[in-house]
Amino acid sequence: MGNDIPLTWFLYFAAAAFAIGLAGVLLRRNAIAVLMAIEIMLNAANINLVAFWRYGPERPESGPMSGVILAIFVLTVAAAEVAVGIGLILLCYRRWHAADVDRYDSMAG
Amino acid sequence: MTPNAAMPLNSLDVFFLGPEIVLTVWGFLVLLVDLGLAHRLSAAARRRTVGGLALVGVLLALVTALVVWLVPLSVRSGSETMESWFARDTIAYFFESDPTLFFGTIAGDIQTGSFNILYVLLLGLVLYLSMAWDFTSEWGEYLALMFWATVGMMLLTAAEELVTLFLTLETMTICLYLSTALEKNRRRSAEGGLKYFVYGSVSSALFLFGLSLLYGLTGTTQLEAIRKLLLPTGSQGLSGNVAGATAVLLMMVGFGFKIAAVPFHQWAPDAYEGAPAPVTAWIATGSKLASFVALMKVFLHALAPWSNSGTSVLGPGWIGVIAIISAVTMTYGNFAALAQRNLKRMLAYSSIAHAGYILVGVAAASVSTRGPRAAGAVLYYLVVYAFANVGAFAVAAWLVRDKKTDDIDDLNGLGYQEPVLATCILILMLSLIGIPPLAGFFAKLYVFMEALDQRNADQPVTLLWLVALGLFNSVVSAFYYVRVLKAMFFQPPGTRRLASASGPIAAPIWVGTFIIVVFGIAPDWLMGTMQAAAVPMLTTPVEVAHTQAPAGPSAVSKPAPAPSIQYTAEQLRAVQSSMSGSRGTMPTPKKAGGRGGPPAGQAKRAPAPSGPPAPGKSKAATP
Repeated sequence: MGNDIPLTWFLYFAAAAFAIGLAGVLLRRNAIAVLMAIEIMLNAANINLVAFWRYGPERPESGPMSGVILAIFVLTVAAAEVAVGIGLILLCYRRWHAADVDRYDSMAG
Repeated sequence: MTPNAAMPLNSLDVFFLGPEIVLTVWGFLVLLVDLGLAHRLSAAARRRTVGGLALVGVLLALVTALVVWLVPLSVRSGSETMESWFARDTIAYFFESDPTLFFGTIAGDIQTGSFNILYVLLLGLVLYLSMAWDFTSEWGEYLALMFWATVGMMLLTAAEELVTLFLTLETMTICLYLSTALEKNRRRSAEGGLKYFVYGSVSSALFLFGLSLLYGLTGTTQLEAIRKLLLPTGSQGLSGNVAGATAVLLMMVGFGFKIAAVPFHQWAPDAYEGAPAPVTAWIATGSKLASFVALMKVFLHALAPWSNSGTSVLGPGWIGVIAIISAVTMTYGNFAALAQRNLKRMLAYSSIAHAGYILVGVAAASVSTRGPRAAGAVLYYLVVYAFANVGAFAVAAWLVRDKKTDDIDDLNGLGYQEPVLATCILILMLSLIGIPPLAGFFAKLYVFMEALDQRNADQPVTLLWLVALGLFNSVVSAFYYVRVLKAMFFQPPGTRRLASASGPIAAPIWVGTFIIVVFGIAPDWLMGTMQAAAVPMLTTPVEVAHTQAPAGPSAVSKPAPAPSIQYTAEQLRAVQSSMSGSRGTMPTPKKAGGRGGPPAGQAKRAPAPSGPPAPGKSKAATP
């Protein structure tokens, strides 16, 4: 792995992507944008998983492709979450005629 | 040689997934039947038909869970009928195989089996409760989602590996997001569902990022392998380990959302209020139970070496964070509940407060001198809390069915109208406060006693302040529970009266009260069972990693199945030396209480495990 990109670059990139995603969740008001930000966070974790699998310590007992397989599972979960999330956002959009998360405030206290 | 080639999948492993398979298949069946009837029958008629079918499925799952639980027990006790029923190699399987299934990803021990029975019983109550009125017209979808959420809970309780844990956590919560939003004619149901979804998936992403860091640090996702790799850090805990601390914090935040601990609780009141009452009951009981078991598996098992540095609660280690979250959670939950007028919202804040008390038990279990058995107090608390809350949410369902609102004031005068059921509700509320002869009292007592059980002089970590705060909070909580009782017994009935409770509403209240009273009068049996269940959950089920190494003799199991989470220095040295050098010298140590261990009911009479344990005994019993 002599000329490879160092592991830390991947980790910085993943951490930055994760922070961007988290900021998006906290700051964006559009429900679709929040959903996209959540996807960015999940993908940041995926980058970590694949990078750690490539550069991490060799552990034959945890399988030949453990990090990659985990990442594929995460992609599946992310797809399921998007499907459910879009459905719920659509349901709310029909009631409020708005995709703004701040408008959904019929309950408080 | 690929690692998986060394250990072929035993097809008999599927036997232990019986209840999960039944529930999954029945979910599809209910969905299809409802689809077929959708155009012919009204919602109410479909509720009766499809709901009845679903309850048959629950019964079937209960039978399956009992069979899965009883067959290994009776085979191992040498029953001759069993030996005549099964082939020799099947019998041998029950004796010999390790207590984890599918390459060590899922626990298949008797204790996990008993939790499956508990989930099916609770699911039966919740589904029967939902037969009370038509809160949705999508009965097939609703029932299927509840079934699949239960499958997620069962597998989450059994998960012994982080990928499985993440996937099952998602299975559970994604089903619950959807069922929260299924009450389509009410606005707040959709709103509650969306809020639950957004908070829930952010928490999943945080948990996953923490998981990825932990995977990077250890190179594995098996809980036991992680624990072994972290053990050599010894008493340093987390000091100086920034990546480890980040991983622990992120995973804690992820779990904090799922169990609704402050400051990650914002979704809970809205989701609880918005969801249909049976779904709320299932979020508050089943999902909380499963999430707490998973939390304990990750923190008290895999990350136990990072618990504390052995000097103070606020030293490097996760116990300080848990203690602070616990203190804030119970205080905030109780004081916020005081201000609530809506019954479901009040119960939501009360469940937040209870999460705080339970976290005291988690913190206590990581420093208690009794090791994993201390986590039995937490499991006892969870079971008692679950039954009390199913009953309490049945009251909310009653209000919504008859009055379309669920304010506490709507209960006015119920004590004169339905004296028997009102007395049952009184008992449930008193148990949630923690009044002595009831199970809720013993739950709190055991948890707080574990926190004070610090006789070992090497472990001066004290949680006295947390216990004091917990007692203070119990007093505060009395005020809002008593408001329910005041409305029922001291207020005149309003103009709109509640109709009499039909079977679906009365049953959870009755069963909840029965459980609370029985396990309040005789708490020993449940406590013993739960302590026995905590041991295999939180110690290693099996040598997952090292038996697969082609070189070593396969007889080598885990080096030292120490029953205690807190290793003394002596034990730690023994573990390290056996990990590094003397591989193969120990004869097949198998953990007590696992698949070869004593049945749950008998385990409590076994002497409390202490010190370096003797090698296991189960191999000797092989016919």
